[in-house]
Amino acid sequence: MSYELIALLMFSSMMLLLLTGQRVFGAIGFVASAAALLMWGDGGSEMAFSAAMKLMKWYPLLTLPLFVYMGYMLSESRIADDLYRMFHVWMGPLNGGLAIGTILLMVAVSAMNGLSVAGMAIGASIALPELLRRGYDKIMVTGVIQAGSSLGILVPPSVVLVLYGMIARQPVSQLWLAGALPGLMMAGMFIAYIVIRCWFQPNLGPSLSKEEREEISWAEKFRLLQAGILPLFIFFSMTGLFLMGVTSLVESAAVGATAATLAALVKRRLTAHVMEETLRKTLGISCMFMWIILAALCFGSVFDGLGAVKAIEGFFIGKLGLSPWEVLILMQLSFILMGMFLDDTAMLVIVAPLYVPLVKLLGFDLVWYGVLYTITCQIAYMTPPFGYNLFLMRAMAPPEVTLSDIYRSIGPFVLVMTLALILVMIFPEIALWLPKTFYGR
Amino acid sequence: MPKAIRLYVRYVEKVNRAIGRCAMYLIFAMLGVLLYSSFSKTVFLPAHWTLETAQFLMVAYYLLGGSYSMQLGDHVRMDLLYTSWKPRTRSLVDSITVLFLIFYLCLLLYGGYSSTAYAIQYGEQSYSAWAPYMAPVKVVMTFGVFMMLLQAVATLFKDIAAARGEEL
Repeated sequence: MSYELIALLMFSSMMLLLLTGQRVFGAIGFVASAAALLMWGDGGSEMAFSAAMKLMKWYPLLTLPLFVYMGYMLSESRIADDLYRMFHVWMGPLNGGLAIGTILLMVAVSAMNGLSVAGMAIGASIALPELLRRGYDKIMVTGVIQAGSSLGILVPPSVVLVLYGMIARQPVSQLWLAGALPGLMMAGMFIAYIVIRCWFQPNLGPSLSKEEREEISWAEKFRLLQAGILPLFIFFSMTGLFLMGVTSLVESAAVGATAATLAALVKRRLTAHVMEETLRKTLGISCMFMWIILAALCFGSVFDGLGAVKAIEGFFIGKLGLSPWEVLILMQLSFILMGMFLDDTAMLVIVAPLYVPLVKLLGFDLVWYGVLYTITCQIAYMTPPFGYNLFLMRAMAPPEVTLSDIYRSIGPFVLVMTLALILVMIFPEIALWLPKTFYGR
Repeated sequence: MPKAIRLYVRYVEKVNRAIGRCAMYLIFAMLGVLLYSSFSKTVFLPAHWTLETAQFLMVAYYLLGGSYSMQLGDHVRMDLLYTSWKPRTRSLVDSITVLFLIFYLCLLLYGGYSSTAYAIQYGEQSYSAWAPYMAPVKVVMTFGVFMMLLQAVATLFKDIAAARGEEL
């Protein structure tokens, strides 16, 4: 059997097994280890465990449990409540203002955490009920929270860029800086969309009533601005110290997690209940990610052994005879397409090692591609049927938000994100300007 | 279901829960080690053991915690079709497909066993300035995989029971 055929067979049997609804890590791990055993016999029998050793040596992965911990600490202790209130009060008078405030809140949360889980949890538990109570359109609001929380992996710090950095062997500091402007640009585009939409259909996002606005004094308004200190403090202690070179990457994640715990302590929100919930959920989510990565690493090394990279390169460049840009666009498209059906963490570990060497071969900048890659991940996270954000949203949203609402809500935002992706593709400077000025590359 | 199976499921779940509850606190150990690392680097000499220790703690964290997180149902599934099935159908399908998961865990355990045996026999050390012995962490890893396997088998029994409409 040819190697291409084996690779195809592995992919399709994995898809089939995933469709049965078995746990994702089991499906991927089975296909990988069974293929290794069939092809290489006894030599392949230890591949599953070698993946565990490989995972251990990927030391930047240490940031993952720490970021998960930090995210749950921020959401469980509800220290972001004041932050939400700040945006609520200041943006409330506008049509759709609370939705804009939610996007801004998500940017602040994204700057404090490297995963989208935290933003999702904070958005669904604080902002969503409030927005629904104010008569905001539930489909738009659901979309706002999903799109906003996905910024978590683009605005520094970002776990996805850490994983990408490990695979592409690019410095994480430059990748994080490269993600900053596109992240802010995308947030701006979300806001522009909300403003335009609510301009034409004010009933989707009514502004705060006059009486309600007058209830809040100016002194109160300025007092609430203090809530903004928290994200600045956490952002500086984590990303700031890392970019200045004081702490290493994993150390900065530990400092950030400690800062979040201290913030909760100072605000007197660190109860035994919060601690228990944070620790248990951190264990659950970290284990889920780690076991998937473990299985996907095994899958990846089998693919490596097959020479799948060479096969893909040969296919794109040799057989189709495409120009570098056409190949790049095809890659992004196939990535989004696969992201719809495959688990996103697994995608990262399986697909990135296949694509990154190809991008390098085509002569593109790998830091720039990291940003494209992350935006594509964001889109993949949100698109049904398999979007990790969709699961989380359903688990966290109040019962009146149905699954079909969630599916319908993401449409416009996926379009906005695709537009952002295209912009960064056409104008690489959006991503590269900041690392260039900072590091003079 | 026979009494032996019921006892097996009960005890495995109890032990795994206890192990997982302990593993949960390893995150503080990781935090502590890394904070010490950044502290020692700025104040006196950088410590050469911190990074590897943190890595060992991380693998112990997710391998020992794996079975507890499986009990909690935190391992995601692709639920495109799965959610539309009746609970009985789900358990029936699960009781078959979990065998694939068990197969994977068996291979993982086999690899872990041979790697640990090698590490013990030859006193394998890590290639670093600190050069710790690899055997202890490998024993912990293999033990974690073994407990995960026991948990997967317990899950199989529970799925079979649920497919037959019984309580376990």
